[in-house]
Amino acid sequence: MNAAADTAGGTPILRAESVTKRFSGLVSVDQVSFEMRKNEILGLIGPNGAGKTTLVNMISGTLRPNEGALYFEGQPIDALAPYKRAHLGICRTFQVMKPFPGMSVLENVTVGALFGRDGGETAMAKARESARDWLDFTGLSHRIDARADSLGGPDRKRLEFAKALAMGPKLLLLDEVMAGLNSVEVEEVIELIKKMRERGVTILVIEHVIKAIRSLSDRVLVLHHGQKIAEGDPAAVLEDPQVVEAYLGRRRH
Amino acid sequence: MKSLPYVIALVVVVLLVFVPWVASDVMMQFAIDALLLAVLAQAWNILGGFTGYVSFGNSVFYGLGTYGTAIAMAQYQLPFWVGLVLGVILAVVCALLIGFPILRLRGPYFAIATLGLSAAMGAIVSNMPIAGSNIGLVLPLVRADTMFYELSLGLLVVCTLTVAWISRSRFGMGLVAIREDEDAAGTMGVNTTTFKITALVLSAFFTALAGGIHAYWISFIDPASAFDPTLNVRMVIMAVFGGPGTVFGPLVGSFILSTIYEYLASSISTAAALLFGLVIVLAVIFMPRGLANMVGGVRAHGPRFFLQNIRENRL
Amino acid sequence: MLLAQILTNGVLLGGLYGLMALGMALVWGVLNIVNLAHGAMIMLGGYAVYFLFTGAGIDPFLALPIAIVGMFAFGYLLQRFVLNLIVRSAMLNTLLITFGLNVVITYLAQLAFSADFRTINPSYAGSNVVVGGITVPLVNLAAFVIALVLAGAVWLLLNKLALGRAIRATAQNLVAARLYGVDPRQLYAVTFGIGAALAGAAGGLYGTIAHLTPYIGASLTAKSFVIAIIGGLANPFGVILGGIFVGVAESLTALYAGPTYSDVISFGLLVVVLIVRPARSLRAA
Repeated sequence: MNAAADTAGGTPILRAESVTKRFSGLVSVDQVSFEMRKNEILGLIGPNGAGKTTLVNMISGTLRPNEGALYFEGQPIDALAPYKRAHLGICRTFQVMKPFPGMSVLENVTVGALFGRDGGETAMAKARESARDWLDFTGLSHRIDARADSLGGPDRKRLEFAKALAMGPKLLLLDEVMAGLNSVEVEEVIELIKKMRERGVTILVIEHVIKAIRSLSDRVLVLHHGQKIAEGDPAAVLEDPQVVEAYLGRRRH
Repeated sequence: MKSLPYVIALVVVVLLVFVPWVASDVMMQFAIDALLLAVLAQAWNILGGFTGYVSFGNSVFYGLGTYGTAIAMAQYQLPFWVGLVLGVILAVVCALLIGFPILRLRGPYFAIATLGLSAAMGAIVSNMPIAGSNIGLVLPLVRADTMFYELSLGLLVVCTLTVAWISRSRFGMGLVAIREDEDAAGTMGVNTTTFKITALVLSAFFTALAGGIHAYWISFIDPASAFDPTLNVRMVIMAVFGGPGTVFGPLVGSFILSTIYEYLASSISTAAALLFGLVIVLAVIFMPRGLANMVGGVRAHGPRFFLQNIRENRL
Repeated sequence: MLLAQILTNGVLLGGLYGLMALGMALVWGVLNIVNLAHGAMIMLGGYAVYFLFTGAGIDPFLALPIAIVGMFAFGYLLQRFVLNLIVRSAMLNTLLITFGLNVVITYLAQLAFSADFRTINPSYAGSNVVVGGITVPLVNLAAFVIALVLAGAVWLLLNKLALGRAIRATAQNLVAARLYGVDPRQLYAVTFGIGAALAGAAGGLYGTIAHLTPYIGASLTAKSFVIAIIGGLANPFGVILGGIFVGVAESLTALYAGPTYSDVISFGLLVVVLIVRPARSLRAA
């Protein structure tokens, strides 16, 4: 299953070295280290408040770690502003979907094409063209002129994907893109993520839908109270007693 | 279809060029004032309309343009155009200096910081002997209303063309992305700091030019008129009334409001101000996205458009 | 000794400044409305006390409660029938509409009261007490004490009364207000009414210390805004402290740099505070 990831070899696309983030005394992410290989799908799971989104924020640059370091393709990125990381090819979606509300669907995606990897496309016409392509790819071309804030839940997720893809990502960080979707829609999103990987994108998936994690991930990483408590093959990790307890402990509350 | 407003604008500009040959002196006064105010509204639109950073302190740049011109002409007997250049340089340098710290502030914080800066600038200038302290400066008097008119018209055209270019460019898309959601714009690769400062500098550039032209035309300036806080508010309201972030909204808004204001001010000035305030209140309630949006909305929905606006925004 | 006198003046004046800002901070913190007509409401409170004093012969400090009740009604109606129509609109629009209201109130006041300077001048206006060589004007002292008392009342309201809890819940989110069984439209109107009442109180006191004209609103709005930011939106006593800070800074600036700069100093402070504090923490405020 993870043949693609193994053959890539070489420098990992992303490497985290004992990354720590504290908020006024509270440790949100505690000494987490991991690597992502080119073109793999890594599932990041853990109970609410485990520090998953904080970790993604540090990779995308909206937060800086207090300790530790992050490397993208071997190059340290902690000093880089979010927009520079986007130019390197690090793209993300937000847990709370963040379309530009007053812009049309097409304009939203065009922004991605204009400013993404390597500073994006400079010609407006070309950027629009590629935005249309990505809207086709994500199945949203029928809503191309709608205002972004008029979209319903599933379409908003598609828009979020299209925006991220238009940026030409090398590494895509997906923060709970399946939350609030029914099982048919979850199936569609899984297919979409697989299609992205076929195009050579490396993907980090934060998800509560365990079924999706199982069917998508090459490897799984589990955070609990900010610490990495397990990492490895999805089937093995999801059976791990420590992991099960972390989840059961959450349910009891 | 989309080029229709531009065709109309071209015809209007060509007609406006010939106004000095038919207008009375009083009308010329009004026209020059209205054109310069429209430049201010349009320049404000570059930052406020596109990036959503509401500046209540553009009079800083207006005042610097005014004083640059006045100091060059009154203190050093330099020609008008040198004064204009000096004023623009002062304003642009100021925009670059204050841009980095204050563009990190958001929403009302930015608005009030700019308001504070314009008040501070007035106080600083009124303590500078080279700027005539708080007495002001007298510029060489010229009677050349036609020149001032054509100059103002030209400036407005250039400023509007700049805004038209912005609205169709990658730069403009970045600015609008910042307005819609600055954090998201950053993670999507928009260099938000550079974009915001560029917008501020462009805004300062046109505002300072309007200030310089106005100074020479009026031929007398003092801190109270150069850093007039009500000017800040007037340009914001004209732009917002017309439709911020659009190409023609600020122009239409400023001409309509200038006309109403002029008409009423010539009869009773208190009533003029009062009506000005009422217009703002009603406009916010019934057409919160400006005239430009209202025209489209009423065409699509008829009078129901107004009720929809209220329903959308009320508690 | 001069310095001690200046500091005393600054502190007493600052307490009143804090009261001015208190209503603005409350409305801003709870309703997320930066009320640019706040200064105009202070001005109205001043005129209310002025006319109760000169017209009906009521002592200014007894007229104060009447002005407070009147301004509460004014604020309540304004929010209920005008501002409630736009509260969900963009921040820019609330700035604009309250600016428009500022203009309307100012010029209505000018039509009704004329542009003349007015001062509320009771027989005891010039009285002082001298404490350890420092002259303390009685009226300023009374204004300071009343400011503290009203700040305490607001604190009690917010922290001890059910209405206050509902108001604070509304500040967190609108849905929470419904859990308290309160119609948010009422709650918004009541909160804005309290803000206006505080403005009225501040105006009445201001009129005994300084000139009233219809035009004082804009600069008082700006000052209140600065103090609300320096003092924070959450704690009434923080706002009073912010006011004292600005009052002292103004007095010292007037002494050392000249009176031209004393109006500007509050803005200078504001810009410094805004820039020194990291932008991120402000976004949440």
